[in-house]
Amino acid sequence: MNQKSFRTLTGSFTFLMVAFIVTVILCIVTHTTLNALITNILSDEILFAIRLSLVTATVSTVACMVVAIPVGYALSRMNFKLKTLADTIINLPLALPPLVAGVGLLLFFGQTPVGKALETIGLKFVFTPLGIIVAQFLINVPFAIRIMKSTYNSINPRYEHVAKTLGCTKSKAFWKVTLPMSKNGILASSAISWAKGIGEFGAVLMLAGATRMKTETLPIAVYLNMSSGNLRLAIAAATILIIVAFLALYVLERYGGEAKIY
Amino acid sequence: MLKIKDLSADLGEFSMENINLEVENGQYFVILGPTGAGKTVLLEVIAGIYSADSGEIVLNDQNITNKPPKDRPISMVYQDYMLFPHLTVEDNIKFGLDSEGYSNEEIEKRTKEAVELLEIQDILHRYPRTLSGGERQRATLARGLVMDPDVFLLDEPVSALDVPTQEKIIDELKKIYRETEITIIHVTHSREKAVRLGERIAIMKEGEIKQTGNSSKVFREPNSEFVANFVGAENIFNATSKLNNGTAKVKLKDEIEIEALSNREGKVKACIRPEEIMVSKTPIDSSGRNMLEGEIIEISERENTMQLKVDTGIELVVTITKKSYADMNLKVGEKIHLAFKATAVHLI
Repeated sequence: MNQKSFRTLTGSFTFLMVAFIVTVILCIVTHTTLNALITNILSDEILFAIRLSLVTATVSTVACMVVAIPVGYALSRMNFKLKTLADTIINLPLALPPLVAGVGLLLFFGQTPVGKALETIGLKFVFTPLGIIVAQFLINVPFAIRIMKSTYNSINPRYEHVAKTLGCTKSKAFWKVTLPMSKNGILASSAISWAKGIGEFGAVLMLAGATRMKTETLPIAVYLNMSSGNLRLAIAAATILIIVAFLALYVLERYGGEAKIY
Repeated sequence: MLKIKDLSADLGEFSMENINLEVENGQYFVILGPTGAGKTVLLEVIAGIYSADSGEIVLNDQNITNKPPKDRPISMVYQDYMLFPHLTVEDNIKFGLDSEGYSNEEIEKRTKEAVELLEIQDILHRYPRTLSGGERQRATLARGLVMDPDVFLLDEPVSALDVPTQEKIIDELKKIYRETEITIIHVTHSREKAVRLGERIAIMKEGEIKQTGNSSKVFREPNSEFVANFVGAENIFNATSKLNNGTAKVKLKDEIEIEALSNREGKVKACIRPEEIMVSKTPIDSSGRNMLEGEIIEISERENTMQLKVDTGIELVVTITKKSYADMNLKVGEKIHLAFKATAVHLI
């Protein structure tokens, strides 16, 4: 195959792929009129789903970052026994269907003594908004860790070495040098965790259930309204999810650096 | 004085064994070695960034082997600057003083001194990404100097710079050394920089120190073929030496015998530095010299000199000035006469 034919072939595939994705999205957003879309977005049910999604995704994102910042650092910079095994296990939820992770969470919080003990002190996760946060956390934290690990990998450890010769302890060097230098990675990691949190369905469905106006996040709203034949409300929720996904990917592309490769 | 005794460290990719060095206070000490010799690792172990597996580092009679980097009065500069990109030059310079908890007055005073010494007043408010290589290296030097260290470690500080900027930074290093009388350990793979800057040098290879001494002595009297090669002896021959009336008669080949001032006998390596050999178109009439005749087989131009390869029965490399080369109008295939003193022949 000559160079021109090769360019034509790869270019055609790229064009077809872009066209396919745009068509699928247009099918959703053009299914209704702009006025109807706005009206449906402003309905009590969709406003509830937006609020619940925003709150749960924000809290789970904060939790993801609290874990991802130190764990990503350990996996990037430190050498310890069974590091590869630990890395593999941390990434496992990425490869598992979220439904399976959700079943695991349901059994953990519903059947184990730990889950029951948490329930006795008021931390009830099964079929509650708290469960949404935990489900989003478990599914998204491996992404956040991966991005942070990749961010630290891209920062030369000699910056920390120099900081140590300039009066810093190891932890002070991290806070004063590595962490500020990781800000783009933190932003990218937060954006992808937040967007994925808003869109998380399978694990949320298993642990928190799909109860209208109680555990109804945007994806659950799409599911419930599609099931009951209310296509207009489902499209309103889906459109918001598309916008969130687009913005998050834009932030990741803009600030992600090496972290984009995951 | 910095004393390194039997220092060994294994960092997986790099290791070093039984390093012994002594660096006097106020000395400019150069560690010269090829890439991958472990020079940077040695500096990092001295700075405390990596721990030694065994041995001791003693600085001014204090054992600092197990002290963390922040408790060692040592600053380090890397080849690739490592200025913190999220801080301005001024904040980079103040970083160490701030971490150590100095008063604002002291921070301002020391920063001002370092800035004036390095003449970087104009770039204080700029971020590292906007600086040229030379400006970055000046800022890095200021950041290290402001800590007033007992020992300043420089890891290939000019290698990443273009040649004119290298010259300027070398001048800065000489100025820093002159004005602060600080102890400097400078790592490089460049012979020329070692000669220009080092009062004493150590040659390092594969994690071991091969020779230490006054720089001119190491260059003229290498103790091994590796050192001879690395310091540019160029003419290194297997030979047999016989002592005779205080000089050594060195047979390079059946018909080629030269004299050396040495007490070595038997199988030896004879080293002759190319710049120690005189060239003439006519026979050189001088006693006490080794004289050979040969044919030029190759002429090549170096930055400031010309290099000739001359077949005298053995192949000798000779370095002459560009002016001498032009004056003599030498050509490949021409017969020339070579002469060098017995003291120019070093036997290993």
